[in-house]
Amino acid sequence: MAETTVVGLGSAARSRRFFLVGAIMVGALVLAAAAAPWLTPYDPDAIVVMAYRGPLGPGNGHLFGTDTVGRDVWARVLYGARTSLFVGTLAMAISLVIGMAIGLAAGYFGGLVDAVLMWVVDLFLTMPSLLLLIVLATVLPPSIFTIPLVIGLLGWTTFGRTVRGEVLTLRERDYVQAARALGATDARIIVRHLVPGVLPGVIVLAALGMSGAIIVDAGLSYLGLGVPLPTPSWGRMVSDAQTYVGVAPWLVVAPGVAIALAVVGLNLIGYGLIDLLAERRA
Amino acid sequence: MRRASLAALVLLTACAVPLDPPPPGEPDGAGPPRAGGVLRGASPEDPRTLDPARGYDTVSWAIEQMLFNTLVDYDAGTTIVPELAESWTMSDDGRLVTFTLRHDVRFSTRRAFTAADVKYSMERLLKPSIHSQGAEFFHGIEGAEDYVAGKATEVSGIRTPAPDRVEFRLTEVDPLFLHKLTMPFAAVVDRDTVERVGDDDFTRYPVGTGAFVLEEWTYGQRLKLARNPDYFRPGRPYLDGVEETIGVSAQLAWFKYQRGELDLAGIPPAEYERVRADARYQPLLLSRTTLRTQYLGLNCALWPFDHVAVRQAMNLAIDKQRLIDLIDGQGVIANTILPPDMPGAEPVPGYAHDPAAARRKLEEAGLAGGFETTLWTYRDPEVSLRLAQSIQRDLQAIGIALDLKPVDFPALIEAVRHEGTVPVFLLGWEADFPDPSNFLTVLLHSRSRDTNNNTFYANPVVDRLLDEGAPLLDLDRRFRLFHEAEVLIMQDAPWVPLFHPAGSAVRHPRVRDYELHPLRPSRLENTWLAW
Repeated sequence: MAETTVVGLGSAARSRRFFLVGAIMVGALVLAAAAAPWLTPYDPDAIVVMAYRGPLGPGNGHLFGTDTVGRDVWARVLYGARTSLFVGTLAMAISLVIGMAIGLAAGYFGGLVDAVLMWVVDLFLTMPSLLLLIVLATVLPPSIFTIPLVIGLLGWTTFGRTVRGEVLTLRERDYVQAARALGATDARIIVRHLVPGVLPGVIVLAALGMSGAIIVDAGLSYLGLGVPLPTPSWGRMVSDAQTYVGVAPWLVVAPGVAIALAVVGLNLIGYGLIDLLAERRA
Repeated sequence: MRRASLAALVLLTACAVPLDPPPPGEPDGAGPPRAGGVLRGASPEDPRTLDPARGYDTVSWAIEQMLFNTLVDYDAGTTIVPELAESWTMSDDGRLVTFTLRHDVRFSTRRAFTAADVKYSMERLLKPSIHSQGAEFFHGIEGAEDYVAGKATEVSGIRTPAPDRVEFRLTEVDPLFLHKLTMPFAAVVDRDTVERVGDDDFTRYPVGTGAFVLEEWTYGQRLKLARNPDYFRPGRPYLDGVEETIGVSAQLAWFKYQRGELDLAGIPPAEYERVRADARYQPLLLSRTTLRTQYLGLNCALWPFDHVAVRQAMNLAIDKQRLIDLIDGQGVIANTILPPDMPGAEPVPGYAHDPAAARRKLEEAGLAGGFETTLWTYRDPEVSLRLAQSIQRDLQAIGIALDLKPVDFPALIEAVRHEGTVPVFLLGWEADFPDPSNFLTVLLHSRSRDTNNNTFYANPVVDRLLDEGAPLLDLDRRFRLFHEAEVLIMQDAPWVPLFHPAGSAVRHPRVRDYELHPLRPSRLENTWLAW
């Protein structure tokens, strides 16, 4: 979750195409997550093989075979989409709320408030985030809410800085000055005039932030710190199957492809949006 | 999406890697053992120590056993046979054990071995400054307590009436005493070397009477043993040496074995099923049941496992056959606490897999609605967590919601010792000695609650049976009492015995007469290389 400079993809037509492809990929995942019970007859946690004799290969009613406990991999990938999308969305939302609040306050009030808040941002940026994630994920009681909470609490700095930067220019605009002259309260100016102004940039960051959160979740799950077992999670599936890569590659490939789909899709949406939104504004 | 997954399916099936063949060569064949050659092994890490007074893990023991000897040892099974001792006698009251020593034994420094070396080695083990985990096994020798406390300069109960005789006088009868003497703790070390290099450096200059001598130990890289030409068993060992490459993970060792670069290797769990099913590997596969039991410990001091019916329900709910399947058949179902190879082990009425009966037991305990609890387990995704998820599923079927808490192994061992902390845990126990007390007394006597009785099980009747059996030298009576105790323990059900795992390994076709041992790391004295 390093700071990134967000640059568009060049032409508007290309952006639109990329956005569309991203939207289709992510849409498919959302659909798969929502319709999981109709896309597979299996419970993702149920042990479906009668007698375990190693992981079963794809086929025989198991699209992606079965895993090292005897569960259906396709079902786990589908339900894993729920986990990943939930973690990604919640983490992103937490980052977004914190980042926007801090960015708006810092940018709008300036002065000491800005200095202190930016100092907090710098403080967060200097901390080795993966290490901190591991510590927090270990210390906090494991649950489906812990991981997004931890990721969200550590991932808001990009939002904060970007929003602050936007606000710094927006607050000098005539309409903001006019509102202030008319006696509008700080709260009203922030909510009515600044928030809509920073929203386009934030939406782009949200898409990228969500893909980042999914990657971090996969990483934590890979380290064994993700959502508690047996809840299916893509990162966990990859890590649990790594020694089986030669024996049963589908165990790694299926969740691996799913992670790639989600991340690439969300990134395409994010980068596509940059140009599309710039185009609209122009 | 469907079409995409179909494409993926084709891709996936295409990239499964076939099992590589084992190293080439005739796996068996007649002919007398051939002398010569260096056996190549590998290990992920250095042994913790090569000082036999200090090592208490299989990696250290494996090497120590080749460098040192003990007065007595096990045969290929669990029968005690002479080693440095030629013979021994026990007095009628069982408190005096006298060994007659071999005359042809020399240290690898060529100095002749005598009874004084036995006494020296035992006193060194007991010395408080050594901090040996094995010292307590020998506190029953007369005078040992005084010696440990610094009140005596020698252990009065170890006497050497002649250079080839050593006597141990015990404070009370100890039927396990000979077993204790087989442990590498009691190995005979070379006094001259210890005094020259000091206690702490002896691990780097370990000199004993064993079949091999240490030639080189470069930390993190390799450990080389060379044949001891003065070894007392004529013609042994056959090998010129043993070379252990250090820093090789289990997975890498497997690849190196397949390439013919290692003579012995373990089989990664992921590959085991394919290896077993492969005719090319069958003659090279070694497997043997060990004196181990893998079990679920139920904390009898914590609700709801303070209800015996709940503990019995747990026993009835778990599908052990599936656990055996998950470990690729490397073991047998456990319906008792004692492993089947344990002397004195007899069938005990256990619990069949019967979820309906399990549910009735829960009703009996007033918990028909189920409950939620936490299973602490080693965080090893290859075995423990797979087993844990299968158990989780079985318990879910009778309404018990089992959260998994995967932790590091040292943390697990530490946590289970605290009475109010761990409701359920998944652990195994491997016997130090082939005697029922090493399971029943060590793990289930109420006196052991502050050490290894991590279920905090306490039954005065069981305690009495165990205490009554402990000093008995008459094996029939001894085993009968332990059996009675085991029957009671199984009724009280502080454990869910899961399975008795087997050990397995593969050998290079050129490796001959290599056997796995039920209790100890394998020794290589009789092993030879066909080319």
